[in-house]
Amino acid sequence: MGFVTEDPGVLTTVQDEGRYGYEQFGMSPAGPMDLRAFRTANLLVGNPMGESALEATILGPALRFDQDNTIALTGADMGPSLNGQPCPMYQAVAVKAGDLLRLGAAKTGCRAYIAFAGGLDVPPVMGSRATALQNKVGGFQGRRLAKGDAVGFRAPDPALPLPRTAPIPDHGGNEVTIRVVLGPQDDAFTREGIDTFLGRPYTVSKDFDRMGCRLEGPVIQHKTDGNIISDGMVTGAIQVSTSGQPIIMLAERQTVGGYTKIAAVISADLPLVGQRKTGDRIRFQAVSVEEAHRLWRAFDRELKELGARLAQPQPAQPIGTTYKVTVNGRSYQVQVVKHTS
Amino acid sequence: MSDYTLRYVGDQALLVEFENEISMEVNQKVRALRFDLERKRIPGLGELVPTYRALLVHYDPLTADLDQIKEDIRQSADQMDLSQLPNAIVTEIPVLYEGEYALDLEDIAKLENTTPEEIVRIHSGSDYYVYMLGFAPGHSYTARFEAPFSFKRRETPRVRIPGGSIVVQLGLSNVIPFDQPCGWNIIGTTPILACDYRKEDPFLLRAGQWIRHIPIDKAEFLEIKRQVELGEYQCRTYERGM
Repeated sequence: MGFVTEDPGVLTTVQDEGRYGYEQFGMSPAGPMDLRAFRTANLLVGNPMGESALEATILGPALRFDQDNTIALTGADMGPSLNGQPCPMYQAVAVKAGDLLRLGAAKTGCRAYIAFAGGLDVPPVMGSRATALQNKVGGFQGRRLAKGDAVGFRAPDPALPLPRTAPIPDHGGNEVTIRVVLGPQDDAFTREGIDTFLGRPYTVSKDFDRMGCRLEGPVIQHKTDGNIISDGMVTGAIQVSTSGQPIIMLAERQTVGGYTKIAAVISADLPLVGQRKTGDRIRFQAVSVEEAHRLWRAFDRELKELGARLAQPQPAQPIGTTYKVTVNGRSYQVQVVKHTS
Repeated sequence: MSDYTLRYVGDQALLVEFENEISMEVNQKVRALRFDLERKRIPGLGELVPTYRALLVHYDPLTADLDQIKEDIRQSADQMDLSQLPNAIVTEIPVLYEGEYALDLEDIAKLENTTPEEIVRIHSGSDYYVYMLGFAPGHSYTARFEAPFSFKRRETPRVRIPGGSIVVQLGLSNVIPFDQPCGWNIIGTTPILACDYRKEDPFLLRAGQWIRHIPIDKAEFLEIKRQVELGEYQCRTYERGM
């Protein structure tokens, strides 16, 4: 028992950190499009960072709980509500059997995450609970959630001591700078082509899914053409075919490709790509591999520190004034606590 | 010793490229480097993804020493000895070359100006080498080293061909794991699954191995299919030198 999907939204899938070790067989890793928001949601409910959770896209789902648990929402702000009342994001929230969680359209960003204490009860396939939509495997029956789907909790923890909160990150406005490491085929482009790529803004087209993000903008000039003998691919690789338009390859990309790749998005900036929407503008900035590693270590440290802070015993009874408040016929204990930070 | 080019691929992978051609010789270097790096058990080394002429080397920047990995690659390339490669595996794949299971066999025979029987004899008469996997899970890029046929793709690709189709053009022959669009000619169908998620190891084939197609009749096809559905069928495999 866990929740029943009353409305699946546009595209809601079960994800964990991905299915690694099978690219040599042609399987992309899948996993979340915004790793920072995904990990944060899990940490908020006391899970390991890579536990299975839901990823919602553009328009979120409505879920009816049939078991008590603790949940957390992160990522895009889809105006979440719990039983019709605004449900806070970036903090753990206790839910009861019968409660209705409803997400709407994304006001900022593109993808929201819903984590559940103890994770979701879907069978691991090849060591992972991530849904690979293209391969129709993993997650909930290898597909997106549909109306009526019941997904169980594996080890719910409705008594997780609260409060548990995390800082809300900035998903950027309608124009963001994404940092990249040039290569592996940057030498297939003219100097002018590289300057265009790094100097001009690109717009996210309608063609944007978990496989990739097709951009529109000034043509990036090749020395000859965009074809190579197919080689391996990474998440974040920016492929430019002979048309000269870039595509950022994402979680469910193919594992090999026969087009030139001018650069790859640094790991620390991939979450920002995952929060783009059609019409958003992207500017690319080249950084060294060393700089990319420094930023990735900072990304990792930020989440580990959050995990360590949340692992500290939370004050069971914060000092403050307790009120009893009744909203829509339900009573709540509310504590007003003085912030000391 | 083998010359190579080392390239950065984002901040979590390196690409080691050998000569810019599709050939057995170059692909054997990819295979040799992969064996060697796997044997070294380098801390922080991730998955190794072999393709025609290059090896993609994933690493974890939080635990790996990038300079050490580059040094390990250099040493492996310097000391590369293709004669030391382990024997390759051959997997026998049963194929029904008949009727609705071999939609284009008659056309292929006409294109090659011969009989369907001769086409089957040619296709099943030599081993095909698996250069790499990609496109879909378990999808192999497979070829032999003389082009047994002269025809290429169909003029109009089919929107959907079934998983299990054996498709051919020139010296290439692929086992199609799942339903997909395809412009190649269908020479036969195998009851074997190239990717079976029910299995602990779902994948029938690996880069650097060989395939031999074994003609079967309809009764054998149905019996093997039954065993495959029960998860009981094992393809026959054996070793061969390169």
